[in-house]
Amino acid sequence: MTRATDDIIIRTVARILIPFIQLYALYVIMHGHHSPGGGFQGGVILGASFILYLLTHGLEEAKTRMSEVKATLFSSIGLLIFSGIGLLCLILGSNYLDYGELSTILKVIPAQARSLGILGVEIGVGIGVMAVMFSIFFDISTGGSIPNDGENLGERDE
Amino acid sequence: MEVTILVQAIDKAFEILEKATNEEKARNEARELLYTSAKFTSETKFLAEKREARALLSGAQQSRLALRNFVLTFFFLFAFWILLSARFDAFHLTLGIICSILVAYLSHDLLFFNIRLGDFRIEARRFFAAAPWFLSQIFRANLHVAYLALSPKMPVDPQILRFRTKLESDISWVALANSITLTPGTITVDIREGEFFVHALDRKVAYELSTGEMEDKIAHVLMEADHVYIQDVLDVSRIFGALK
Repeated sequence: MTRATDDIIIRTVARILIPFIQLYALYVIMHGHHSPGGGFQGGVILGASFILYLLTHGLEEAKTRMSEVKATLFSSIGLLIFSGIGLLCLILGSNYLDYGELSTILKVIPAQARSLGILGVEIGVGIGVMAVMFSIFFDISTGGSIPNDGENLGERDE
Repeated sequence: MEVTILVQAIDKAFEILEKATNEEKARNEARELLYTSAKFTSETKFLAEKREARALLSGAQQSRLALRNFVLTFFFLFAFWILLSARFDAFHLTLGIICSILVAYLSHDLLFFNIRLGDFRIEARRFFAAAPWFLSQIFRANLHVAYLALSPKMPVDPQILRFRTKLESDISWVALANSITLTPGTITVDIREGEFFVHALDRKVAYELSTGEMEDKIAHVLMEADHVYIQDVLDVSRIFGALK
Protein backbone atom coordinates (compact mmCIF):
# COMPACT_ATOMS: atom_id res chain seq x y z
CA MET A 1 0.00 0.00 0.00
CA THR A 2 1.61 3.26 -1.10
CA ARG A 3 0.84 6.21 1.15
CA ALA A 4 1.27 9.88 0.27
CA THR A 5 4.73 11.23 0.99
CA ASP A 6 4.93 13.85 3.72
CA ASP A 7 7.79 15.64 1.99
CA ILE A 8 6.31 18.86 0.76
CA ILE A 9 9.09 19.54 -1.77
CA ILE A 10 8.60 16.24 -3.56
CA ARG A 11 4.83 16.63 -3.61
CA THR A 12 4.86 20.17 -4.95
CA VAL A 13 7.55 19.61 -7.57
CA ALA A 14 5.81 16.44 -8.78
CA ARG A 15 2.57 18.38 -9.08
CA ILE A 16 4.24 21.04 -11.21
CA LEU A 17 6.09 18.51 -13.38
CA ILE A 18 3.27 16.02 -14.09
CA PRO A 19 1.39 18.14 -16.70
CA PHE A 20 4.63 18.76 -18.60
CA ILE A 21 5.58 15.07 -18.47
CA GLN A 22 2.16 14.21 -19.87
CA LEU A 23 2.47 16.75 -22.67
CA TYR A 24 5.96 15.48 -23.48
CA ALA A 25 4.57 11.94 -23.67
CA LEU A 26 1.89 13.06 -26.13
CA TYR A 27 4.56 14.91 -28.15
CA VAL A 28 6.62 11.70 -28.37
CA ILE A 29 3.54 9.75 -29.50
CA MET A 30 2.42 12.34 -32.08
CA HIS A 31 5.87 12.88 -33.60
CA GLY A 32 6.74 9.19 -33.70
CA HIS A 33 6.67 9.09 -37.51
CA HIS A 34 8.97 12.14 -37.86
CA SER A 35 11.50 11.76 -35.07
CA PRO A 36 12.70 9.16 -32.55
CA GLY A 37 9.99 7.87 -30.26
CA GLY A 38 6.58 6.46 -30.95
CA GLY A 39 3.63 4.80 -29.34
CA PHE A 40 5.43 2.55 -26.90
CA GLN A 41 7.91 5.15 -25.64
CA GLY A 42 5.27 7.85 -25.32
CA GLY A 43 2.92 5.43 -23.60
CA VAL A 44 5.57 4.51 -21.06
CA ILE A 45 6.23 8.20 -20.30
CA LEU A 46 2.50 8.83 -19.96
CA GLY A 47 2.19 5.82 -17.64
CA ALA A 48 5.18 7.09 -15.66
CA SER A 49 3.43 10.41 -15.04
CA PHE A 50 0.50 8.57 -13.43
CA ILE A 51 2.92 6.36 -11.47
CA LEU A 52 4.69 9.51 -10.23
CA TYR A 53 1.33 10.83 -9.07
CA LEU A 54 0.64 7.55 -7.27
CA LEU A 55 4.06 7.58 -5.57
CA THR A 56 3.78 11.17 -4.38
CA HIS A 57 0.08 11.48 -3.56
CA GLY A 58 -0.69 7.95 -2.43
CA LEU A 59 -2.92 5.20 -3.67
CA GLU A 60 -6.23 6.63 -2.49
CA GLU A 61 -5.81 9.93 -4.31
CA ALA A 62 -4.42 8.28 -7.42
CA LYS A 63 -7.55 6.13 -7.63
CA THR A 64 -9.66 9.24 -8.20
CA ARG A 65 -7.53 10.09 -11.25
CA MET A 66 -6.88 6.69 -12.76
CA SER A 67 -8.56 3.64 -11.28
CA GLU A 68 -8.13 -0.05 -11.99
CA VAL A 69 -11.37 -0.09 -13.99
CA LYS A 70 -10.28 2.89 -16.11
CA ALA A 71 -6.88 1.31 -16.73
CA THR A 72 -8.51 -1.90 -17.96
CA LEU A 73 -10.87 0.12 -20.16
CA PHE A 74 -8.04 2.16 -21.66
CA SER A 75 -5.86 -0.87 -22.37
CA SER A 76 -8.80 -2.42 -24.24
CA ILE A 77 -9.47 0.82 -26.13
CA GLY A 78 -5.81 1.02 -27.15
CA LEU A 79 -5.85 -2.53 -28.47
CA LEU A 80 -9.17 -1.84 -30.23
CA ILE A 81 -7.73 1.20 -32.06
CA PHE A 82 -4.63 -0.75 -33.10
CA SER A 83 -6.42 -3.83 -34.33
CA GLY A 84 -9.32 -1.80 -35.73
CA ILE A 85 -7.05 0.12 -38.08
CA GLY A 86 -5.29 -3.13 -39.03
CA LEU A 87 -8.58 -4.90 -39.74
CA LEU A 88 -9.90 -1.91 -41.67
CA CYS A 89 -6.98 -2.31 -44.08
CA LEU A 90 -7.76 -6.03 -44.29
CA ILE A 91 -11.44 -5.35 -45.04
CA LEU A 92 -10.53 -2.82 -47.75
CA GLY A 93 -8.72 -5.60 -49.57
CA SER A 94 -5.02 -5.41 -48.73
CA ASN A 95 -2.76 -6.83 -46.02
CA TYR A 96 -3.21 -6.36 -42.29
CA LEU A 97 -1.87 -2.89 -41.30
CA ASP A 98 -1.21 -1.94 -44.96
CA TYR A 99 -2.22 1.71 -44.56
CA GLY A 100 -1.94 2.62 -48.24
CA GLU A 101 -5.42 1.22 -48.78
CA LEU A 102 -6.89 3.77 -46.31
CA SER A 103 -6.50 6.47 -49.00
CA THR A 104 -9.88 5.45 -50.45
CA ILE A 105 -11.66 6.34 -47.18
CA LEU A 106 -9.58 9.36 -46.14
CA LYS A 107 -9.61 10.82 -49.69
CA VAL A 108 -5.88 11.59 -49.66
CA ILE A 109 -2.89 10.27 -51.58
CA PRO A 110 -1.53 6.87 -50.38
CA ALA A 111 1.62 8.39 -48.88
CA GLN A 112 -0.44 10.68 -46.64
CA ALA A 113 -2.78 7.82 -45.80
CA ARG A 114 0.23 5.81 -44.60
CA SER A 115 1.36 8.71 -42.41
CA LEU A 116 -2.08 9.11 -40.84
CA GLY A 117 -2.50 5.37 -40.47
CA ILE A 118 0.71 4.93 -38.53
CA LEU A 119 -0.25 7.94 -36.36
CA GLY A 120 -3.53 6.25 -35.50
CA VAL A 121 -1.81 2.99 -34.66
CA GLU A 122 0.70 4.82 -32.48
CA ILE A 123 -2.08 6.57 -30.57
CA GLY A 124 -3.64 3.16 -29.95
CA VAL A 125 -0.35 1.65 -28.83
CA GLY A 126 0.32 4.68 -26.58
CA ILE A 127 -3.03 4.43 -24.81
CA GLY A 128 -2.66 0.67 -24.36
CA VAL A 129 0.90 0.84 -23.03
CA MET A 130 0.02 3.68 -20.64
CA ALA A 131 -2.87 1.71 -19.17
CA VAL A 132 -0.90 -1.54 -18.88
CA MET A 133 2.11 0.21 -17.26
CA PHE A 134 -0.18 1.83 -14.73
CA SER A 135 -2.09 -1.34 -13.94
CA ILE A 136 1.16 -3.33 -13.45
CA PHE A 137 2.35 -0.71 -10.95
CA PHE A 138 -1.10 -0.56 -9.38
CA ASP A 139 -1.08 -4.32 -8.80
CA ILE A 140 2.41 -4.19 -7.28
CA SER A 141 1.61 -1.30 -4.95
CA THR A 142 -1.58 -2.91 -3.65
CA GLY A 143 0.42 -6.09 -3.05
CA GLY A 144 -2.14 -8.07 -5.02
CA SER A 145 -4.75 -7.45 -2.34
CA ILE A 146 -7.62 -6.21 -4.46
CA PRO A 147 -10.75 -6.59 -2.31
CA ASN A 148 -13.00 -8.11 -4.97
CA ASP A 149 -10.49 -10.86 -5.67
CA GLY A 150 -10.41 -11.75 -1.99
CA GLU A 151 -14.12 -12.41 -2.03
CA ASN A 152 -13.91 -14.59 -5.09
CA LEU A 153 -10.89 -16.63 -4.01
CA GLY A 154 -9.87 -18.33 -0.75
CA GLU A 155 -11.31 -15.81 1.76
CA ARG A 156 -14.71 -17.50 2.06
CA ASP A 157 -13.21 -20.83 3.16
CA GLU A 158 -11.60 -19.35 6.30
CA MET B 1 -14.63 36.91 18.03
CA GLU B 2 -11.71 34.92 19.35
CA VAL B 3 -9.39 37.43 17.77
CA THR B 4 -11.10 40.30 19.63
CA ILE B 5 -10.60 38.62 23.01
CA LEU B 6 -6.98 37.93 22.22
CA VAL B 7 -6.40 41.50 21.10
CA GLN B 8 -7.93 42.68 24.38
CA ALA B 9 -5.55 40.37 26.23
CA ILE B 10 -2.63 41.92 24.38
CA ASP B 11 -3.82 45.42 25.28
CA LYS B 12 -4.12 44.37 28.92
CA ALA B 13 -0.63 42.95 28.87
CA PHE B 14 0.74 46.20 27.43
CA GLU B 15 -1.05 48.14 30.15
CA ILE B 16 0.52 46.00 32.89
CA LEU B 17 3.90 46.34 31.24
CA GLU B 18 3.66 50.13 31.21
CA LYS B 19 2.35 50.51 34.76
CA ALA B 20 4.44 47.93 36.60
CA THR B 21 7.81 49.31 35.61
CA ASN B 22 9.62 48.37 38.82
CA GLU B 23 8.00 45.06 39.74
CA GLU B 24 10.06 42.36 38.07
CA LYS B 25 7.62 39.49 38.64
CA ALA B 26 4.57 41.27 37.28
CA ARG B 27 6.54 42.39 34.27
CA ASN B 28 7.62 38.85 33.52
CA GLU B 29 4.09 37.54 33.84
CA ALA B 30 2.76 40.27 31.62
CA ARG B 31 5.40 39.54 29.04
CA GLU B 32 4.51 35.85 29.09
CA LEU B 33 0.84 36.69 28.67
CA LEU B 34 1.75 38.92 25.78
CA TYR B 35 3.73 36.23 24.01
CA THR B 36 1.07 33.55 24.48
CA SER B 37 -1.73 35.78 23.30
CA ALA B 38 0.32 36.94 20.35
CA LYS B 39 0.93 33.33 19.38
CA PHE B 40 -2.72 32.43 19.74
CA THR B 41 -3.76 35.52 17.81
CA SER B 42 -1.59 34.73 14.85
CA GLU B 43 -2.77 31.11 14.86
CA THR B 44 -6.43 32.01 15.16
CA LYS B 45 -6.07 34.66 12.51
CA PHE B 46 -4.43 32.19 10.17
CA LEU B 47 -7.18 29.62 10.71
CA ALA B 48 -9.91 32.20 10.29
CA GLU B 49 -8.35 33.42 7.06
CA LYS B 50 -8.14 29.88 5.78
CA ARG B 51 -11.77 29.24 6.66
CA GLU B 52 -12.81 32.46 4.96
CA ALA B 53 -10.86 31.60 1.84
CA ARG B 54 -12.54 28.21 1.69
CA ALA B 55 -15.98 29.72 2.24
CA LEU B 56 -15.33 32.28 -0.47
CA LEU B 57 -14.51 29.61 -2.98
CA SER B 58 -17.96 28.14 -3.30
CA GLY B 59 -20.12 27.45 -6.28
CA ALA B 60 -19.62 29.90 -9.12
CA GLN B 61 -16.25 31.10 -7.88
CA GLN B 62 -14.96 27.54 -7.65
CA SER B 63 -15.90 26.83 -11.25
CA ARG B 64 -14.47 30.16 -12.38
CA LEU B 65 -11.20 29.34 -10.64
CA ALA B 66 -11.19 25.91 -12.31
CA LEU B 67 -11.73 27.59 -15.68
CA ARG B 68 -8.92 30.09 -15.02
CA ASN B 69 -6.60 27.23 -14.05
CA PHE B 70 -7.64 25.32 -17.17
CA VAL B 71 -6.94 28.25 -19.50
CA LEU B 72 -3.61 29.14 -17.84
CA THR B 73 -2.48 25.51 -17.90
CA PHE B 74 -3.50 25.25 -21.54
CA PHE B 75 -1.39 28.26 -22.56
CA PHE B 76 1.65 27.08 -20.61
CA LEU B 77 1.38 23.60 -22.13
CA PHE B 78 0.85 24.92 -25.65
CA ALA B 79 3.96 27.11 -25.33
CA PHE B 80 5.86 24.02 -24.17
CA TRP B 81 4.50 22.09 -27.18
CA ILE B 82 5.70 24.79 -29.62
CA LEU B 83 9.10 24.68 -27.95
CA LEU B 84 9.30 20.89 -28.37
CA SER B 85 7.73 20.48 -31.77
CA ALA B 86 8.92 23.55 -33.74
CA ARG B 87 6.66 22.54 -36.65
CA PHE B 88 4.30 25.31 -37.63
CA ASP B 89 2.05 23.61 -40.19
CA ALA B 90 -1.67 23.48 -39.48
CA PHE B 91 -1.70 19.73 -38.86
CA HIS B 92 0.89 19.77 -36.09
CA LEU B 93 -0.48 22.93 -34.47
CA THR B 94 -3.93 21.31 -34.37
CA LEU B 95 -2.43 18.21 -32.81
CA GLY B 96 -0.72 20.48 -30.27
CA ILE B 97 -3.96 22.23 -29.38
CA ILE B 98 -5.78 18.90 -28.98
CA CYS B 99 -2.98 17.45 -26.82
CA SER B 100 -2.74 20.59 -24.68
CA ILE B 101 -6.50 20.58 -24.09
CA LEU B 102 -6.36 16.89 -23.20
CA VAL B 103 -3.55 17.32 -20.68
CA ALA B 104 -5.08 20.51 -19.29
CA TYR B 105 -8.32 18.57 -18.79
CA LEU B 106 -6.46 15.69 -17.12
CA SER B 107 -4.41 17.83 -14.73
CA HIS B 108 -5.70 21.40 -14.60
CA ASP B 109 -5.88 21.13 -10.82
CA LEU B 110 -2.21 20.18 -10.48
CA LEU B 111 -0.19 23.04 -11.93
CA PHE B 112 -1.88 25.99 -10.23
CA PHE B 113 -3.45 24.18 -7.29
CA ASN B 114 -2.94 25.86 -3.92
CA ILE B 115 -1.33 28.94 -5.43
CA ARG B 116 -2.61 32.03 -3.71
CA LEU B 117 -4.92 34.27 -5.66
CA GLY B 118 -2.28 36.93 -6.08
CA ASP B 119 -2.06 38.89 -9.28
CA PHE B 120 -0.10 36.72 -11.65
CA ARG B 121 1.41 39.66 -13.58
CA ILE B 122 2.74 41.31 -10.43
CA GLU B 123 4.35 38.03 -9.38
CA ALA B 124 6.01 37.63 -12.77
CA ARG B 125 7.31 41.22 -12.74
CA ARG B 126 8.65 40.84 -9.21
CA PHE B 127 10.30 37.57 -10.16
CA PHE B 128 12.23 39.18 -13.01
CA ALA B 129 13.13 42.12 -10.80
CA ALA B 130 14.50 39.80 -8.12
CA ALA B 131 16.30 37.41 -10.48
CA PRO B 132 19.58 39.43 -10.69
CA TRP B 133 19.86 39.41 -6.89
CA PHE B 134 19.47 35.61 -6.79
CA LEU B 135 22.01 35.20 -9.60
CA SER B 136 24.56 37.44 -7.88
CA GLN B 137 24.00 35.53 -4.64
CA ILE B 138 24.67 32.23 -6.42
CA PHE B 139 27.77 33.69 -8.10
CA ARG B 140 29.20 34.93 -4.78
CA ALA B 141 28.44 31.63 -3.07
CA ASN B 142 30.21 29.81 -5.91
CA LEU B 143 33.36 31.87 -5.36
CA HIS B 144 33.20 31.27 -1.61
CA VAL B 145 32.83 27.49 -1.97
CA ALA B 146 35.67 27.45 -4.52
CA TYR B 147 37.83 29.34 -2.01
CA LEU B 148 36.93 26.81 0.73
CA ALA B 149 37.71 23.85 -1.49
CA LEU B 150 40.97 25.22 -2.90
CA SER B 151 42.56 26.68 0.22
CA PRO B 152 45.10 24.22 1.68
CA LYS B 153 43.61 24.17 5.19
CA MET B 154 40.02 23.58 3.95
CA PRO B 155 38.43 25.73 6.66
CA VAL B 156 35.00 24.06 6.51
CA ASP B 157 32.75 24.01 9.54
CA PRO B 158 29.68 21.97 8.56
CA GLN B 159 26.55 22.57 10.57
CA ILE B 160 22.82 21.99 10.45
CA LEU B 161 20.70 25.09 10.85
CA ARG B 162 17.16 24.83 12.07
CA PHE B 163 14.74 27.71 11.71
CA ARG B 164 11.05 28.39 11.45
CA THR B 165 9.98 30.30 8.39
CA LYS B 166 7.30 32.95 8.32
CA LEU B 167 6.23 31.97 4.82
CA GLU B 168 2.82 30.34 4.75
CA SER B 169 2.03 28.58 1.49
CA ASP B 170 3.46 25.32 0.13
CA ILE B 171 4.71 26.95 -3.01
CA SER B 172 6.80 29.55 -1.19
CA TRP B 173 8.25 26.87 1.12
CA VAL B 174 9.33 24.92 -1.94
CA ALA B 175 10.66 28.07 -3.63
CA LEU B 176 12.71 28.91 -0.53
CA ALA B 177 13.97 25.33 -0.14
CA ASN B 178 15.02 25.14 -3.77
CA SER B 179 16.72 28.55 -3.71
CA ILE B 180 18.68 27.47 -0.63
CA THR B 181 19.69 24.24 -2.35
CA LEU B 182 20.57 26.09 -5.56
CA THR B 183 22.98 28.34 -3.69
CA PRO B 184 26.29 26.49 -3.35
CA GLY B 185 27.27 25.69 0.24
CA THR B 186 23.77 25.21 1.58
CA ILE B 187 21.35 22.32 1.12
CA THR B 188 17.81 22.00 2.43
CA VAL B 189 17.65 18.65 4.18
CA ASP B 190 14.03 18.64 5.25
CA ILE B 191 10.92 20.73 5.88
CA ARG B 192 8.74 19.69 8.77
CA GLU B 193 5.60 21.80 9.13
CA GLY B 194 7.28 25.10 8.35
CA GLU B 195 10.52 24.25 10.12
CA PHE B 196 13.54 24.14 7.82
CA PHE B 197 16.60 21.94 8.36
CA VAL B 198 19.48 23.31 6.31
CA HIS B 199 23.01 21.95 6.01
CA ALA B 200 25.56 24.77 5.71
CA LEU B 201 29.21 24.39 4.77
CA ASP B 202 30.72 26.98 7.10
CA ARG B 203 29.93 29.78 9.52
CA LYS B 204 29.84 32.59 6.97
CA VAL B 205 27.35 30.78 4.73
CA ALA B 206 25.20 29.92 7.74
CA TYR B 207 25.26 33.53 8.92
CA GLU B 208 24.20 34.84 5.52
CA LEU B 209 21.31 32.40 5.48
CA SER B 210 20.17 33.23 9.00
CA THR B 211 19.79 36.92 8.15
CA GLY B 212 16.63 35.87 6.31
CA GLU B 213 17.23 38.09 3.29
CA MET B 214 16.38 35.28 0.87
CA GLU B 215 13.18 34.54 2.78
CA ASP B 216 12.12 38.18 2.52
CA LYS B 217 12.84 38.25 -1.21
CA ILE B 218 10.72 35.14 -1.79
CA ALA B 219 7.95 36.53 0.39
CA HIS B 220 8.07 39.65 -1.77
CA VAL B 221 8.08 37.78 -5.09
CA LEU B 222 5.22 35.45 -4.14
CA MET B 223 3.30 38.31 -2.53
CA GLU B 224 3.44 36.93 0.99
CA ALA B 225 4.89 40.09 2.50
CA ASP B 226 1.60 41.88 1.96
CA HIS B 227 0.49 40.27 5.20
CA VAL B 228 1.14 42.19 8.40
CA TYR B 229 2.68 39.76 10.81
CA ILE B 230 1.52 40.20 14.39
CA GLN B 231 5.00 39.40 15.65
CA ASP B 232 6.43 42.26 13.59
CA VAL B 233 3.86 44.64 15.05
CA LEU B 234 4.80 43.53 18.55
CA ASP B 235 8.51 43.98 17.86
CA VAL B 236 7.87 47.49 16.61
CA SER B 237 5.66 48.34 19.57
CA ARG B 238 8.33 47.15 22.03
CA ILE B 239 10.89 49.42 20.39
CA PHE B 240 8.34 52.22 20.40
CA GLY B 241 7.73 51.65 24.13
CA ALA B 242 11.46 51.74 24.88
CA LEU B 243 11.80 55.04 23.04
CA LYS B 244 8.95 56.54 24.99
